[in-house]
Parts: sequence; C-alpha cells; structure tokens
Amino acid sequence: MTKALRSYLLLLRWQALSQKPLLPLNMAVQIMIAIGFVIGLSFFYPEISETTAKYLITGAPTIIILMIGLVLLPQIVGMARKEGTFDYMWSLPIPRMVYIAADATIWILVVLPGVIIALAMGAAYYGFGLDISLLVIPALLLVAISGIFLGYAIAHGAPKPEIAHLITQILVFVIMIFSPVMYPVEQLPDWLVKIHNFLPIKYMADLSRGTLTDLDVNLGLAFIVVGAWCVAGFIITYFLIRRRR
Amino acid sequence: MLLEINNLVKVFNKNIRANDGISLKVDEGEVFGLLGPNGAGKTTLVNQIIGLAMPTSGSITINGIDVVSKPDYARQTCSFQAQTQVPIAGLTAIQAIELVGLIRGGDNIQVRERSRQLIDSLEIGEWANKMGATLSGGVRRIVAFCMAAVIPGRIVILDEPTNDIDPVRRRLLWHEIRSLADTGSTVLLVTHNVLEAERAVDRLTIIDKGKVVGTGTAADLKDQDKNHMRLELILEPGMIFHKVPKFLEQTITSKRRIISRINEKKVTNALNWSQSLKEQGMIEEFFLGPTTLEDAYVRMVGRLDVLEMPDGDIKND
Repeated sequence: MTKALRSYLLLLRWQALSQKPLLPLNMAVQIMIAIGFVIGLSFFYPEISETTAKYLITGAPTIIILMIGLVLLPQIVGMARKEGTFDYMWSLPIPRMVYIAADATIWILVVLPGVIIALAMGAAYYGFGLDISLLVIPALLLVAISGIFLGYAIAHGAPKPEIAHLITQILVFVIMIFSPVMYPVEQLPDWLVKIHNFLPIKYMADLSRGTLTDLDVNLGLAFIVVGAWCVAGFIITYFLIRRRR
Repeated sequence: MLLEINNLVKVFNKNIRANDGISLKVDEGEVFGLLGPNGAGKTTLVNQIIGLAMPTSGSITINGIDVVSKPDYARQTCSFQAQTQVPIAGLTAIQAIELVGLIRGGDNIQVRERSRQLIDSLEIGEWANKMGATLSGGVRRIVAFCMAAVIPGRIVILDEPTNDIDPVRRRLLWHEIRSLADTGSTVLLVTHNVLEAERAVDRLTIIDKGKVVGTGTAADLKDQDKNHMRLELILEPGMIFHKVPKFLEQTITSKRRIISRINEKKVTNALNWSQSLKEQGMIEEFFLGPTTLEDAYVRMVGRLDVLEMPDGDIKND
C-alpha cells in the first residue's frame, strides 16, 4: 500500500469519525430537500407536462450538489477554520491534497443519496422514464467534484470565514432564482444568458440532463466547461491550502 | 545541531515585527524552553518551524536541511501540539491518539500499546472512550499532548502544553515530557509559566517583543542575580502599593503578588520592612529567598504576564 493511499484511508476514517455526529443529520436533511424538491415542483406548476417535469427533475442533482458544495461546505469549512482545525491538520506529515481528497469523499457520500432519491422519486412521481447512459457516473462525479472544489476555493480563499458565509448566502439566491436550472435558459434576459454561457451552472444541469434523459443537450461542451471549472477550482484550492501565513 | 534558527524575522501587516531577528540552536535530546510573555512571538516562531507561517527573512534548518523551502521535511521530523485545541469533537480520545499515531507512521500494535501507556501514565483512562466534544479543556489538552507524543518526531514541539491542566496531572505531564527527551526526542517547549519551566527544561531562550533577551541554562540566566535575594509579598485583598523603599530593585506586581530583588546587604532592612507591613495588615505573607528563574525573567522582560499593573505604578521612595 503506498504511503499516500494509507494516509488517505486513515484520514477518511478521521473525517468520517469527526463528522459522525453531523453526518446522519446532514444526509437526512439532504434527502428531505430532495423529496421536498420533487413534491414542491407540483405546487409551482399545477399543470406540469412530462417534458417540463423531466427537465426540472433532472436539474435537481445540480441544485442539490451546488447547495452542498457552494453553501454547506464553505460554512462547515469556515467553522473548522475558526476552530483552528487546519492549523492542526496541516501540521501532520500528510500531503494536504490527500486530506482534501478524504474530505471530498465524505462530501460526495453526503450528496449521493439525495441526488439518487430526487431522480428516482421524481421520475416515479411525474411518470416519466429515465434514459440512463453509462456516462452518468463520470458526469455526476464531475459535477460533484467541481461543486466541492469551488466550495473549498470560496471557503479557503475568503479572508475571513464570515465573508465565506456571506458569499454562500448570495450564491444560494443566484443559483435558485437566476440560473437556468429551474426553467429553460430562453426565459432569461440576454445579458444573463451571456453570463451563464461562462458559468458552470447551466452546463452542470446539462450534464445530468444529457446522461439521464433523451433531452437534446451538447454533452461534449458541458463536459469541457464543467471540467475547466473543476480544474480551476482544484488549482485555486491547491494554492490556497499550501499558502503559509 | 538538530534545530538551528538564524536571524529569523516575521513581519505581519507590513509593520508588526512578531519575530525580530531571532537566532537559537537546539541540540539533540534536550528539553529546550521558549519563554516569553503573551505576544512575545513564541507561537509565531514555532508556526514557522512547522511550516504554517512563512518567515519574512532568516533561516530555519533541521538536521542541516532548510525547512523554509522544504516544509514537508519539518512535518516529517516534528510532531506538534498547537496552542489551539485539537479538532477532535467527533472522535473519542483514544481514537484521536491512535489515528494520529498511525498517520505518523506507527504500526497498529506499537500505536495501541503506546496510546494505552500514555493514557495510563497521564491518568486520563476514565475519558479515553469519551467524545472530544464532551471533554473539559484540560483533558482535551492532555489528549492533544498524547497525539504529539504517541509516535514522537525527532523534535516534539509543545505550545503551552500545561494550559488549563490541573496541578496533579501537570506534574505527570512534566514527567512525560522529560521521558520524551530520555527516549531520544528533542523537546521544544513553549510556555509563559516560568516557575514550571525552570524545573523542566535543560536550556531556554527568553524572548520578548520578537527579540531574544537571554539564552542559557536556568543557572546561567540567574547568574546576573547573584548577591541578590528575592522578596515576594502577598497583598491583603484590596490593598494597593504606590511606593516602596529604595532597596527594592525592579519591583513588579502580578495580581496580588509583589516581587522584588534586594541586595544581600539589605536583607535586614527588607525583613524589618516586611514584618511591619504584616503587622499593619497590609500584606498576608512575605517570602525571602534565593533568586529564581522568574527573577531573571522579570529582569529581562520587565513584567510577568499581561495582567500586571502597568510599569511605573509602583515607585521607589
């Protein structure tokens, strides 16, 4: 067993144990959000066509992942920063990216049940079939990892944890209301469409739509754009956590 | 030399010189104390050794290897107890100690035995299976020590390890710190507790306002105080002194304590004066004895801790 793998497994244990008091609660909340999302849609749209339902439900993974990656994660990392967690973890003889990998693994485990439940329940509730491609695994993993790295970048990049907290509050709003996840991109004003052509949100939703349904999306472009954001998030996180005061 | 620091400068926010040209050398197998009042720059110094902070200038080498450019080497070589509490809220004490032992490269059996031994000798067995979040500050700090000591590095850096710890376990802790050195580790001990340090360290450096003000054994540092005695007065609650006789040199106050140096020739004067204060009900007790490291420290730093009254509050007649 290589040294990095050994460290990874030990840190995975450390992180799982550390989060144990909150982990079931976090998972339960994520599952409840997923269920609420599915049922709540029928209140938004009393008359919902199969295509609309398909469109909206397959946007759910993106919403759930971004809520966790860009909102919950920076808040929890911010708390950990305040408590001096990283001063301790960074003093251990382990590569810092191995710690991040172990932590990200836990986050992916938190995200997954909600994503799966939202999709399965949504399809059953609104009575449409999913057209699942094998690419769904890399696609959702890429969305999850990008969300998590962007979250780390916010959490470690903000000068103070409180500022990270504030940024997450703004992001919730932008993701929920001003993103083409809950409605088609055509309904946005032109200037916002142009901005979304560069942001990852639309493409993240495309990744799940393209791999779970027969909806017509440019999957290649979505992989490229989200991939680029993922790499950017990784590089920023890498430099931020290696930085010395 | 195992650890060598040369002319280390750390400037924060362009003008706060937290470390201002610190040089020191620590030898293999010694317990080396880093003393100084709060804000002297002690934690900033160890943070640079372990690679959490970046020096503005100067060098740090461990075993001849420049750890400013190779912080990973510092983390391999040093185990570290930070001044802040360890992040073990969701872990039990024993899980935290064992996991760090494994992370530091120990094997299962070795780690389990050593953890057990530390828990037994520091008498924290009753908390071994309790979650970190439920532990008191003192027990949590002992657990943090165990995490640094379970598979100790060649250098064990302890930043204020005795804070919040009860007197009995404090003594056990000093014993464990000494055995770390006896089994081959070098201990770099950061503290502002001068009295305890005097008994525990082989050599020490006193730093104040980012500068080294004295280095040596406790005896070396006390040498300048020869021909002097130490007079300590414990005030009755509510009593305040504004003036003291001329034969009291470098008087400082710390809460209800007044500590001063007197020339051996003035012992009779000091005794008579103290006795009369006691009779007047001004003081509870007084002690006259040989100078201690604390006196040397006071001479160099000019104060004991941040709670004392400002300089000049007490004047000589």
